[in-house]
Amino acid sequence: MPPPTLYPRAQLKKTIKAHTNRPLSRSVDILIFLNYTLFLQELVKEAAITSKQAGERGITAKSVRKVRADVLRKFKA
Amino acid sequence: MSGTARKKQRVTPPRISEGTTNNSGTLYDDLHQLAGILPRPTTPFRRAASAGPTPGSRRTPTNIVVRTPGTAARTPRGGPATRHTPARRNAPTTPHAIRALRERANAARTPGFQRRRSGRIQRETPRDMLRDLSRVLARDPRPVEPSPQDQDQIPRNPALDLLDIEDGPDLVAPRLSMPLGDMYDDDSFHEAPPRRSLLPYLPDDVDNGTIQSLEFGRRALSEDPRMMYTTRLSERFADLNELGIDEEDYEVDGTFITRRAPLDPDQLLQENVEDGLDDTTTEIRALTGRRDGRSSDVNLGVFGEMNDEEDEPTFRFTIPQRIQAPVREEPLEELQEEPLEDLQEENSEDDGGEGAGLDDNTGLGDEAPMTADVDDTAGRFEITGWESDHGVEDDTDLQAYREEVSAMDRSLQTQTPERSVTREQRPRKQRKETKTSRIGLDYSSFHTATVKRLANGFAKSHSKTKISKDTLAVLVQTTDWFFEQMGEDLKAYADHGGRKAIEESDVIAVMKRSRQITNNITSFSLAQKMLPRELLQELRMDSAPKLKRQKRKRMETVEEEEAD
Repeated sequence: MPPPTLYPRAQLKKTIKAHTNRPLSRSVDILIFLNYTLFLQELVKEAAITSKQAGERGITAKSVRKVRADVLRKFKA
Repeated sequence: MSGTARKKQRVTPPRISEGTTNNSGTLYDDLHQLAGILPRPTTPFRRAASAGPTPGSRRTPTNIVVRTPGTAARTPRGGPATRHTPARRNAPTTPHAIRALRERANAARTPGFQRRRSGRIQRETPRDMLRDLSRVLARDPRPVEPSPQDQDQIPRNPALDLLDIEDGPDLVAPRLSMPLGDMYDDDSFHEAPPRRSLLPYLPDDVDNGTIQSLEFGRRALSEDPRMMYTTRLSERFADLNELGIDEEDYEVDGTFITRRAPLDPDQLLQENVEDGLDDTTTEIRALTGRRDGRSSDVNLGVFGEMNDEEDEPTFRFTIPQRIQAPVREEPLEELQEEPLEDLQEENSEDDGGEGAGLDDNTGLGDEAPMTADVDDTAGRFEITGWESDHGVEDDTDLQAYREEVSAMDRSLQTQTPERSVTREQRPRKQRKETKTSRIGLDYSSFHTATVKRLANGFAKSHSKTKISKDTLAVLVQTTDWFFEQMGEDLKAYADHGGRKAIEESDVIAVMKRSRQITNNITSFSLAQKMLPRELLQELRMDSAPKLKRQKRKRMETVEEEEAD
């Protein structure tokens, strides 16, 4: 019996496929998901720092919005 | 020897006290000569220094002065006194001692001023410097007499003179200058013009932080570069708008215009609309705002961090909207969803065409009355009711458009007009859920639950609080952007490598380029850290055959070597 879905694999594949219009080889999506995990970690980390600097509690949408451009750029190849 | 030393002691002090005052004299020369003739007496001096009481010690330096007049006070006391040994008394036997003695004698023989030169560096204690200064200062004022004004003030220093000026009757002059300065401050070229050009004149003390931060200039600047330095994302949206590939965007623009433009001419309708539409208009605006916000957000995110204020309202509207919409509509329209969508798309195309081609309100006028009708009917009127309303406006385009609408409505005949309200919103909601990529393929945004789970996991280490709804919405949006960016990067890499499919190497290349994978960090170590075990296993399983192949190759070469 397969374990509960760890992440929406089919959806991720579909999303990437929609952007690339290319088939994915076998375990590419896992690596992509790994990269995404790193990205999200970085994003949350940066957002937490920013929100802390602004004196907010936790992570706010504002802080995320502030940092996401930078983080996206950081993960741009 | 000791006797001579005593004699000297007795004799020298008065001489030297004189000598210090005169600084030069035959007495010194005599002493020098003495020192030169008798190198030995140095030891007796020291002896006297060590043996003598405090006054004697005072004198010993003066004795030593014979050798080095100025510095004697410092150097000989520490040096020779410590160095002094009874053995010295005898003739120096060791070459070192001989040389030292000779040097001393030479030093004593050198002329006075030269000696001073050499010792100057040593002599520069603050006290000496002060003494020199005092000498200089004491002499100068007499010959100079620079100030011609008042003879009484001549002896004073220039610094003191300044004080006198302030105290004196001259105060008037500075006073005159003072008010002038004030006037300049008020009228000064430097401060006023920048304010006056754009902003209302404000005195300095007013807190004009908000006023001066007016964003006219800034926004104009940020918008222009937005067009110039378009990133990928913004490029994409721009392209879509131009080409009309993306119906959604196009229609959104159309509707956005229609909302407002037709309302002005149709005053009568407008009132009704605004009365009735309050709920729906806000929703619609929220939707349109969001649609616009999507493209603009990308730009703002890239170019200005300052624009958060702009972003916020759109998102504030967005989030409740998202949840409400499906609840209302889905049960009703599940049956006829698909045909509806098709029709809607046709409609949207028509809207786009009209809006683009004519730039008229014809296409726009269509929708506005419709919404108005919808509100008028408000659940009472039937579809015929609004067709009659449509009749008010005569346009061929309108007619054609209306026919289509009616065709669509025929399928929905049983529905109440409320339905038609939802009919306008629904496709938009649909659009939001399934997005269209640049290439034209549909995809849906990433699962919120996954994002939430991951983000909560990451956020826990930073703060206990959970991630709020709107934060999550932003995170999901960012996720979509990320995948879009990732997809395009991967595509570029695959294209570059001439591959049809995207392979692991592409992803790894992307990760390497973004410094996620370095020499020290492999993808596997990252996976081990970040991913659950099952995924890790799958990664391993997939990459296992590759490793095997490599091993086999190595083995083959080894065998060959062995065979050789």
